[in-house]
Amino acid sequence: MTSTSRQFNVYDPSMCCSTGVCGPEVDTALVRFAADLDWLAKQGASVRRYNLAQEPDAFAREETVRNVLIQEGVGALPLIVMEGEVVSRGRYPTREELNGWAGLGEEV
Amino acid sequence: MTTPFPNPTRFLFFTGKGGVGKTSTASATGLELARGGKRVLIVSTDPASNLDTVLGTELGMTPTPIAGVEGLHGMNLDPDEAARNYRERVIGPYRGVLPESSVASIEEQLSGACTVEVAAFDEFAGLLAGSEMADPFDHIVFDTAPTGHTLRLLQLPAAWSTFIDENERGASCLGPLSGLKNQQERYQAALAALSDAERTTLVLVTRPEEGALEEAERTRVELAAQGVENQLLVVNGLFEPTSAGDELADRIARVGRAALEHMPEPLRALPRIDIPLKAHNVVGLEALGSFFEGEAGMGDADEAPAAAVGETYPGLGVLADEVAADGHGLVMFMGKGGVGKTTMATALAVELAGRGLPVHLTTTDPAAHVQNTLGADVEGIRVTRIDPKAETDAYRQKVIERSRGSLDAEGLALLEEDLESPCTEEVAVFHAFTRVVFSAKREIVIMDTAPTGHTLLLLDAAGSYHREMLRNAREGTNVGTPLMYLQDPAHTRVVLVTLAETTPVQEAAHLQDDLRRADIEPFAWLVNRSLAASETSDPVLRARARAEAEEMKNIQEHHASRLFVVPWSAEDPRGARILQALAGAA
Repeated sequence: MTSTSRQFNVYDPSMCCSTGVCGPEVDTALVRFAADLDWLAKQGASVRRYNLAQEPDAFAREETVRNVLIQEGVGALPLIVMEGEVVSRGRYPTREELNGWAGLGEEV
Repeated sequence: MTTPFPNPTRFLFFTGKGGVGKTSTASATGLELARGGKRVLIVSTDPASNLDTVLGTELGMTPTPIAGVEGLHGMNLDPDEAARNYRERVIGPYRGVLPESSVASIEEQLSGACTVEVAAFDEFAGLLAGSEMADPFDHIVFDTAPTGHTLRLLQLPAAWSTFIDENERGASCLGPLSGLKNQQERYQAALAALSDAERTTLVLVTRPEEGALEEAERTRVELAAQGVENQLLVVNGLFEPTSAGDELADRIARVGRAALEHMPEPLRALPRIDIPLKAHNVVGLEALGSFFEGEAGMGDADEAPAAAVGETYPGLGVLADEVAADGHGLVMFMGKGGVGKTTMATALAVELAGRGLPVHLTTTDPAAHVQNTLGADVEGIRVTRIDPKAETDAYRQKVIERSRGSLDAEGLALLEEDLESPCTEEVAVFHAFTRVVFSAKREIVIMDTAPTGHTLLLLDAAGSYHREMLRNAREGTNVGTPLMYLQDPAHTRVVLVTLAETTPVQEAAHLQDDLRRADIEPFAWLVNRSLAASETSDPVLRARARAEAEEMKNIQEHHASRLFVVPWSAEDPRGARILQALAGAA
């Protein structure tokens, strides 16, 4: 089994929490993505997740992220940044995609 | 000067069913302590606080000196304002740094019920755990919201501490609390203060009424289980007729004595302070100063025949006529605790069932006991309740079941963990409330609500949900949110229940303002337990009746286009027979 040392930062839109359980409806896509990130971290990746409503500082501090917000608005969230590069915007990627970006190259 | 508490602890909590006189008792106690040379802070944790009126000083979120009393300070721990301050602390630094749409989205997310509850709780924990604000005071007197809400507030330190401890994956669902997650020490310090008998006294305030005494007993048990063992009982509003021969006065006194005789044993074992029924409302420092004195105060001096005072108003029977004509719809009884929402809701249900109409009678109040009020089952009435614990369990179960197909084992484990968040309770209760609101499309639903503050949080949740639904809805699609149904006069009748006394009327007016801000227009006001609508010659009762008649005129002139009035029931208002008589009286 290969492993990865890449760094992923996930910039979520404003939400109550990363699985959305305290929102009006639980979105299973959110829960699935949370589990996928858990999996990614277990492959050695370093994963950090920021919620706009809870850690606005992370969005303001990162120039890449701030610029995306200024140019495209909150619709560009969630934003996935790997090693400083935006790899995905406006949706939650699948485990296959995460796998590909991480360069793990194995079946998932 | 009378000092009711020989060795007062630093923290004094006044709790009890709404309308039993918590604010008067707490304020009078604070006043006595301050006059004894202590530095005292009186804090209201009731979202519908009337501490301002009782102390005669406008209060805010920081201690304000009370004019005329050295050392006495007051403050309102207003959850909405606490939430506003919290939001501003989070958002303020990013205005002008992040684009406006980002700031707006943060703001919207921090507007839910959970933020409001958590922010208020955080301020409250700060007072208990020690803070710059709290430290200068020898005594902090808490005038709390009616029972259900207060129990939740007192249980939160434990709930959040446990959740933070047990959530292995770094507590992802701290919800709006995440900004405060490093404050666990503070919650533990708050918890320690609450359960230390040297530092905290719980004062259970009650009236000489069976329902209020039973609620005091339930609170005693629940808080003792939380470790709050240093407790004391205040019986407020004891009444003895001035002269013999007045039927209503005799019955009121008899009912009071009987309630005290049947007081639950563990309550009887507590140290107890009795306070006589006053002829006038306890508002202002002067009235507070004589609160603990033995004299009931002067009533009417004149000899008057037993007669009702003032105009007559329609009763519950007229309301029943209109609801029956529609054949479906929601009637929500709202108001401060203790004004008789449960009694009025149940009486209306009994009246409608008596006419052969099926009725769904329900309550959103965790501390309400509709079935007790109704007594034996009545044909045609289906009784349900929104029980937060049961709803939360069912909600967790439902969410997990629904997600089983789309999540793997790890995903499910993560979801289960997050669903343990104390936030889930707010969501689950809101879902249950929504179901009931919708069911009124097909049936007559009579809803007894929790005391004001709690209900406002629920409506607030309905507002956030409404906005979120609208945002997510595609153009051209029809969205029906619970808020829309609550705003529709053809679906929902909100009846504001109050007593014809200065403070309750002001509180009902505030509630009406809050409802109007949510675009909900109350259908009518209802004055319950009206002495003015009863017949009495007792001087103390007549003085109160005369003041009531003035208040009712004031309601009609300034607040309500429609007013219903229900007389004081000389019998404990429980059971179908007595309730139907109440509904029939006009």
